[in-house]
Amino acid sequence: MNTETSVAVPIGRRRKQEFVVRDFFELGLEESASPFLTPLARRISRNLPLKVSIGAALLLLLAYITSFQPHLYPLAAIMLAAVYIMVGVPALINSVEDILLRRDCNIDVLMTLAAFSAIFIGSGFEGALLLVLFALSGAIEDTVSLKAKNALIQLHRLVPLKAYVIEEGELKERAVQDVALGTLVLVRAGEIVPLDGIVVEGASSVNMVHLTGEATPIRRIKGDEVPSGARVIEGSLTVRVTHLSHDSTVSRIVQLITQAQSQKPLLERWFDRFSRQYALTIITISCVVALGLPFFLDLSYLGREGSVYRSLAFLITASPCALILAVPIAYLSALGASARKGIVLKGGVVFDALNRCSIVAFDKTGTLTLGELSLDEVVSNEILSYAASLERNAVHPIAKAIVKKCQAEEIPFCEVQEVEVIPGYGVQGKIGNEMAFIGDLSHALTLLPKEQARFFEEEAKQSQSQGKIIAALVIANRGYLFAFSDKARPGVTRMLLSLKKLGRRFLMLTGDHYESAKPLAKQVGIDDFEADLKPEDKLKRISALSEKEGLAMVGDGINDAPALARATVGICMGQVGSATARGAADVILLHDNIELLDWLFAKAAKTKKIVVQNLCIAIVAIVAGSIPALYGVLPLWLAVIVHEGGTVLVGLNALRLLKD
Amino acid sequence: MSDHFKGKEAIQHIVEVQANGVVSSSEIHGAETPGFLFALTDAARETTAALVLLFVLCNFFEFLPDQLFMLLFSFSAGWACWKFGRASWLATSRLERLHRVMDEERHEIEYNRAQEKEELKALYRAKGFQGKLLDDVVDVLMADGDRALRVMLEEELGFRLDENEHPLLQGLGAFLGVVAASGLLLLAYNTASQVALVVTAVCLFAISCYVTAKREHNKSIPAIVWNLAIALFASVVAYFCMKFIASE
Repeated sequence: MNTETSVAVPIGRRRKQEFVVRDFFELGLEESASPFLTPLARRISRNLPLKVSIGAALLLLLAYITSFQPHLYPLAAIMLAAVYIMVGVPALINSVEDILLRRDCNIDVLMTLAAFSAIFIGSGFEGALLLVLFALSGAIEDTVSLKAKNALIQLHRLVPLKAYVIEEGELKERAVQDVALGTLVLVRAGEIVPLDGIVVEGASSVNMVHLTGEATPIRRIKGDEVPSGARVIEGSLTVRVTHLSHDSTVSRIVQLITQAQSQKPLLERWFDRFSRQYALTIITISCVVALGLPFFLDLSYLGREGSVYRSLAFLITASPCALILAVPIAYLSALGASARKGIVLKGGVVFDALNRCSIVAFDKTGTLTLGELSLDEVVSNEILSYAASLERNAVHPIAKAIVKKCQAEEIPFCEVQEVEVIPGYGVQGKIGNEMAFIGDLSHALTLLPKEQARFFEEEAKQSQSQGKIIAALVIANRGYLFAFSDKARPGVTRMLLSLKKLGRRFLMLTGDHYESAKPLAKQVGIDDFEADLKPEDKLKRISALSEKEGLAMVGDGINDAPALARATVGICMGQVGSATARGAADVILLHDNIELLDWLFAKAAKTKKIVVQNLCIAIVAIVAGSIPALYGVLPLWLAVIVHEGGTVLVGLNALRLLKD
Repeated sequence: MSDHFKGKEAIQHIVEVQANGVVSSSEIHGAETPGFLFALTDAARETTAALVLLFVLCNFFEFLPDQLFMLLFSFSAGWACWKFGRASWLATSRLERLHRVMDEERHEIEYNRAQEKEELKALYRAKGFQGKLLDDVVDVLMADGDRALRVMLEEELGFRLDENEHPLLQGLGAFLGVVAASGLLLLAYNTASQVALVVTAVCLFAISCYVTAKREHNKSIPAIVWNLAIALFASVVAYFCMKFIASE
């Protein structure tokens, strides 16, 4: 359904750039994703500001070295002019736009003013240095945020764009936004349900792992609701649309994530407001110093001792680049490093909150466990062979678990004839002379003699009460039960041990039975666990603990959503997690990589440390530079070094967070 | 069944062929021809014209050969930077315009679907589609936002996707064009004679016009002769204007 056909572009090329148009708009008309450009040109555009900044830095260095040779000075001047063109013009454009279009006088304006003013007092190199460093820090920031954006774009691709609607008995392809309420939509095996609706015809198992976190497919028959984003496994469903595209389940997930992306930490928001006031104050003081100082002191306007020179040195050193950069670049680097690991945080403020958490609470199914079924015990090799032979070509997780077990035990398959899939129920076929069925218990019971069916049902209920998932095989009027259970995710035990070392306590909160919770808790090393909890019980427990001390809750299902929202930090599994849970959570583990939780907590601690270090560096650089500048004891070149040194240090310090 | 449709539906095939036709015809009727090679040949031609004009005018002053060489060299250096920047800027500006139009078109497709559908219908009706076939084509195109956008851009607006070179690459083309033309002309002037300079200029004109004409599938001989004639006319006008002013 997602395979698109070309209209005007050859198929081969069209497939290569299937998502180019969508990516281009989702990245905010980013040139490096422009559909108009050739692939080579798109590669050239990637991180272009960073490449240009590095080029300008090298050119400036060359110009500086060349300037020591008097006969080569004209060449140095040409190179210097090129540096101003490369990094100065973009800064100038931004500043003029800020002042004229946005009526904003901010830190960028302050820096550009200082850099260009430097030319008029014969300090072109210092001005160029300022511009180069400013461009470098801006380009690094852009690169980091683009990477974070790219990680989220993958989530947007969950949204189906087209639906096959049934109109006057004919099947027609329609864009999802053109599909009206009440329209009948056909969804075939392997396709994704494009819009929320109610099944009016057909039956099938549907996989809703992206929506509910439940890895085991659920049977959907006439009258059942199906959400958009669910994948139809076998057969086909005719669905009557109940929600429009902008209101569908998948669209809501995407909207929630997009909204969350724009969240800023409190400290960062405060700095944005502070930046404007500060820039205006510094520009005013600089003007007063430049124009007024000769009236009070025995000073000229021009020259190295002059008031203009001092005011420029003050303007440069007092610019709070390092201070402004100190917090966001640290958060951005940490967010970028996390995104690279497949962890999306809804803003830098989450790192602060993670540092406040002393307890980590876990849900069980789908969170600590894989959500993948494994067959626990087998009646006999012969029965397993029958079951596996029937399920050999099915895609249901139960079928996969049976076939996997059969292959692991090296049991040969037997011949099955007249194989038929009963959508939503299971598979039937002829083994030898006997008809056999494997699949749903309720259907199996109808195939058994009454007395045996009663006994069989009781046996099944007993297994189910232990938290096991059941499938039934019926052959020659006899029923056989297959019990499946979920396994712990790999790396969970190590992660919990590592979290303990970081000073965190943990507990498991589950709605499952005590009998099924206990073995898992023991296996992964959790002493403290509570089972048989309803969503409201979980919420009560989480609320109490969150009020007392910080708590991070890790979950996946809709039933975890209230607890995730109430916890100090809600962490949700990205792949198996439900849409509601993802909306409520602060952190999304895109690849269900729960084994990286200890890494995330360690990264949060390191981020806090680096933010504090950065603030100290920035304040020292401003105070140490601006006061001597006013007294005229700081030459312009040194003012630039002090100021930019602080900015570069802050940037480099923050970039340490990008490391794994 | 022949391989005429290349594995596609007949409707898709027709749409593809018609789209290519519209794109091709829009090129002939004055669409911009951006690209490294065009920027190079165009810059080479303009540089040759500018240097020849300068050379003609400088003959009225009593420059020593070395002085004239320095003047032409310095002019070429500045001119190369101008052409690089100008070509890059024109390409950037063109790309910005394309992006804006694309964004507007996407907005139309997303929010004014009924009108866009009508536009598509009109477009395909003009191509001979009618009745149910017309409805089917439009429905298929409108079912996918990306596809509808591509068709509108390529068919309605005559744009070409995946074809534009990077603005900096176009700028580089122009820069190399200036360097090549001025380098050859100055070399000819410095090592041979004024006649060599004129011969080199004629050759540069001829080559650059030939390459451009070939690339645009135009006739090469009229292109070469016309361009040479215009350059000669410009030189004659400059020469006699100067002569007239000097005599007054």
